[in-house]
Amino acid sequence: MDLAPDLVGARPGELNEMATVQVRLPGLLAQILGGEKNLEVEAETLQGAVDRLLTDYPALKVHLYDESGRQRPHVNLFYNETNTRWLSSLEVGVQDGDTFTVMQAVSGG
Amino acid sequence: MGVTLAVGTEKGAYLFRSDDARSEWDLQGPLFKGWRVTAFGEAGDGTYLLATGSNWFGAALHRSPDLKEWAQIVDGPAWPDGGERKLTQIWTLNRAGESLFAGVDEAGLFRSSDYGDTWQPLEGLNEHPTRPAWQPGFGGLAAHKVVVDWSNPDRVWVAISAVGVFRSDDGGETWVTKNHGIESTVEDELEGDIGYCVHCIVQDPTDADRLYRQEHQGVFRSFDGGDNWERIETGLPAGFGFPIVLDRASGRLFVVPLESDENRLPIDGEFRVYRSDDGGESWSISGTGYPVAPTFTAVLRGAMDADQRKGIYLGTTAGKVMATADAGETWTTLPWTLPRILSVRVLEN
Repeated sequence: MDLAPDLVGARPGELNEMATVQVRLPGLLAQILGGEKNLEVEAETLQGAVDRLLTDYPALKVHLYDESGRQRPHVNLFYNETNTRWLSSLEVGVQDGDTFTVMQAVSGG
Repeated sequence: MGVTLAVGTEKGAYLFRSDDARSEWDLQGPLFKGWRVTAFGEAGDGTYLLATGSNWFGAALHRSPDLKEWAQIVDGPAWPDGGERKLTQIWTLNRAGESLFAGVDEAGLFRSSDYGDTWQPLEGLNEHPTRPAWQPGFGGLAAHKVVVDWSNPDRVWVAISAVGVFRSDDGGETWVTKNHGIESTVEDELEGDIGYCVHCIVQDPTDADRLYRQEHQGVFRSFDGGDNWERIETGLPAGFGFPIVLDRASGRLFVVPLESDENRLPIDGEFRVYRSDDGGESWSISGTGYPVAPTFTAVLRGAMDADQRKGIYLGTTAGKVMATADAGETWTTLPWTLPRILSVRVLEN
């Protein structure tokens, strides 16, 4: 398995000006934030965007990460079309219009 | 005065509101649609608490001033960051005076002194010397029931599955196991008084030293605050069950017996609540109004509550809610069918 696939939309090592990242939430988490599925955060990097998201919406932290600080196993976080689990670092530059999507893993039938 | 009944299910919360006679009901919900709703509480400042869980997104606590608008409590009960202990479910929320208690899975007890805004772990219990021997039951390793002595707020009991009952006599600082007289469910090689699969406990409203206990191994009673327990099953078709509830107005005890710990179903499909009018000395079927056709469903430990005015309410794993307003003389099944019911709580209006 290739652990470092092409990062669609990601620009490792490229630091940008402050950019607006679109955040997409699943319905369950949107309920926690009053029904808002689409948010915006401003940041220079993906890590900065995540930090800003959790600062602006602190209720999300417990739902995305467990007590050990690890991402919850059945939560997927996508930077544009790239699952962030595939990234070696979130210190990648972001641009206006980039998306950060929270998805709940679905399996079974 | 009517009743507001909060019902938590695998897929959201539902609120039932009754007329003064508690014979007509309206339904509101679901709230937190799609979330597992595991417990309700009252914070003590006029606001309500609700606990959610999710296989994806973990457990959290929420507050509402009116049962309509909810906001998550960011600093809810939680194990320390950086640790391996996980909070998977908030099982119970209890208020006693100015204190709120939250019992959780992975087993532990937290207390709030600011109406639920922040929570502190009760280390005397959470790091109890017996903890290395604690083992989960089928429902997890959960502190699922807290009873604060109505006559002495420094005396607190907590029930943990499959560990047993602990009592604190100093406001939660130190804890002692209280399981003498009960057969252990889980073999314990480390400690002598651990391994009891307690399902529910309730304190007598007229005698502070008298407790009742629905255990994996049967139904028990204590006359000395939990120091010693004796079996009380005369008239019961089975000892196994989950909830045990006491109605203050009538003095009656209620349980829902199930066929064996292996099957966990009503005996021969005859779903019945049993009651005791004599403090557990004897039991009999509680009144009438049960399903005529065979009914294979159960009532979980958090899914039965009393309004202390002869109103008893239960929710089944098949999503039905049953109610009595006359201390179990007649039962009515409400017309709605909900998802699997996990928690039932009478809220102050």
